[in-house]
Amino acid sequence: MDSFINPYYIDIIVFLFIYIILGLGLNLITGYAGQVSLGHAAFYGIGAYTSAILTVKFGVNTWLAIFLAIVITFILSAILGLPSLRVSEDFLAITTLGLGLIIQSIFKNAEITGGAYGLDMIPAPSLFGLEIIDLSYLGLVLVMLLLAIFIMKRMTQSRIGRAWMTIHEDETVAQSMGINTTYYKVLAFAIGGAFAGAAGALFAHKVSYISADSFGFTLSATILSMVVLGGLGKIRGTILGVSLLYLLPELFRVFDIQLFDMKYLDLYKMMLYGMIMVLVMRYRPKGIFGNTSLKKRKKNRSSAKKKELRDGEIIA
Amino acid sequence: MLAQQLLNGVALGFTYVLIAIGLTMIYGVLKLLHFAHGVIYAVGVFAAMIGILYLNMNFIVACLFAMIIAAICGVAVERFAYRPLRNVHPITTLISGVGIAIFLESLFQVVFSSDPRAFPDTGMKVSVWKISESISITNVKLTIIVVGLVALVLLYAFLRWTKMGIAIQATAQDMRAASLMGVNVNRVVAITFMIGSAFAAIAGVLVAYDINSIYPTMGSVPGLKAFCVVVLGGLGSIPGTIIGGLILGIVESLSEGYLNGMIIDKDAIAFVILIIILLVKPSGLFGRKVEKV
Repeated sequence: MDSFINPYYIDIIVFLFIYIILGLGLNLITGYAGQVSLGHAAFYGIGAYTSAILTVKFGVNTWLAIFLAIVITFILSAILGLPSLRVSEDFLAITTLGLGLIIQSIFKNAEITGGAYGLDMIPAPSLFGLEIIDLSYLGLVLVMLLLAIFIMKRMTQSRIGRAWMTIHEDETVAQSMGINTTYYKVLAFAIGGAFAGAAGALFAHKVSYISADSFGFTLSATILSMVVLGGLGKIRGTILGVSLLYLLPELFRVFDIQLFDMKYLDLYKMMLYGMIMVLVMRYRPKGIFGNTSLKKRKKNRSSAKKKELRDGEIIA
Repeated sequence: MLAQQLLNGVALGFTYVLIAIGLTMIYGVLKLLHFAHGVIYAVGVFAAMIGILYLNMNFIVACLFAMIIAAICGVAVERFAYRPLRNVHPITTLISGVGIAIFLESLFQVVFSSDPRAFPDTGMKVSVWKISESISITNVKLTIIVVGLVALVLLYAFLRWTKMGIAIQATAQDMRAASLMGVNVNRVVAITFMIGSAFAAIAGVLVAYDINSIYPTMGSVPGLKAFCVVVLGGLGSIPGTIIGGLILGIVESLSEGYLNGMIIDKDAIAFVILIIILLVKPSGLFGRKVEKV
């Protein structure tokens, strides 16, 4: 089966799914709980490095390593989320950005992370003696993605999700309604971080080589622009936003469209992402799939008109 | 050795002060964290390079040219990315700022290629001044300090004695009240962006000349460090920003001289300071008392 499908296409889909998991985590922190994070790549990096270090340096079983990576990212993200208790909104963005840069700099300088050289020879997971690569890895990532979507759906529709949304709307109100804002804010960071950790571990075992450069601010900003495009606080928004922005540049590569110098494809990609962030914020701050969908807006407008007419009649 | 490090730190600190002044003024007026400030810094550097290489300007004219181009770019960024979003949630504006910064930085890499290049020949020679046996300073670093001082004096005079300067202060205190008193708020904002961008540009040109290297992403780290300076000094406080910038410059310079083999880069120290300040004393050194930001 593997030979029928170009492994390159499989890789694209695998990375797309990993990005969606990463985006879901960020959406949880930023979209649902309203805590802006510009350091999401750090959580992704912690997951990737934890799993890589455990398997390469300590010879831990791959599956256990992935699981431990998620647990450790959960704990570390909770700790890194603590500033959100003192700092809010745009300053939180700067703080998380700073944390992201500090963590990236630790990856680059610490001994256990392989320093500037990074870590290589990260083994792929195996099941019953079969190494999971290519198509079967796609299966593994798909299972993780579905699990992530399921968890996120259940969580956001429960008491926790409602608490997050209240905090997002107005923290003071949330507090006065008896919501433990401290607990829920840290929880949002922990779970969002754990999602990123899972994505990072999957990434590490897929590419088998990681270095600090993969976890910089560019990645945080990329993921943020994808989530923002889809709409903050919407699961399908994230899935569609990430897919759209991730696949669009890949289309140029796959179909070999020579519209421009391919050398600069990554830069054009970043230009597109940046411009999308500006334009979406300006014209549709809730994203393509935000609450004010076109259909609803039309409906609202027509009902508002009707109301206006009615009021007019009364006055007349 | 210590005195030498301190002197280098002061020179470095003045570049941070020049960058951060714009941020703190913009924060004062608009309550906005201007994310694209680092890009404006790079705009200034490239404008100076083009001025020297293609328009045959001498160094001083090129500096002025860089300041003018950067001021225009700063106002354009404000018009395009911030003005349509005024009075909405700060996050929306912040994301817009991040977006424009990413866009411009990538555009610069496409246009000028991401490889570093040397600062064009200006005909000026780098000379070293010996102050005492062990302390010396290059004329470039001395220029940075002098330009920084002159710029600060001019800024003080502008804010204190001109009508526009007073209007800026009034807007920073209360935008609504200022606009009711007949201050053209949009003009105040535009002027603030112009001054801030021009200051960032001159800092950029001097740094590029000092390290003799130009590359499109050179503004991003100083732009982010400037946030640390602003927070350290107290939001919206110009004296605080000056002290904060000098502290950061000296701390970085000392860490370079005395701490080796640290687990974090020299560039990350600023963010450690930022996080500590935000957690412990969010009002900074000279800011108005705030419980929480």
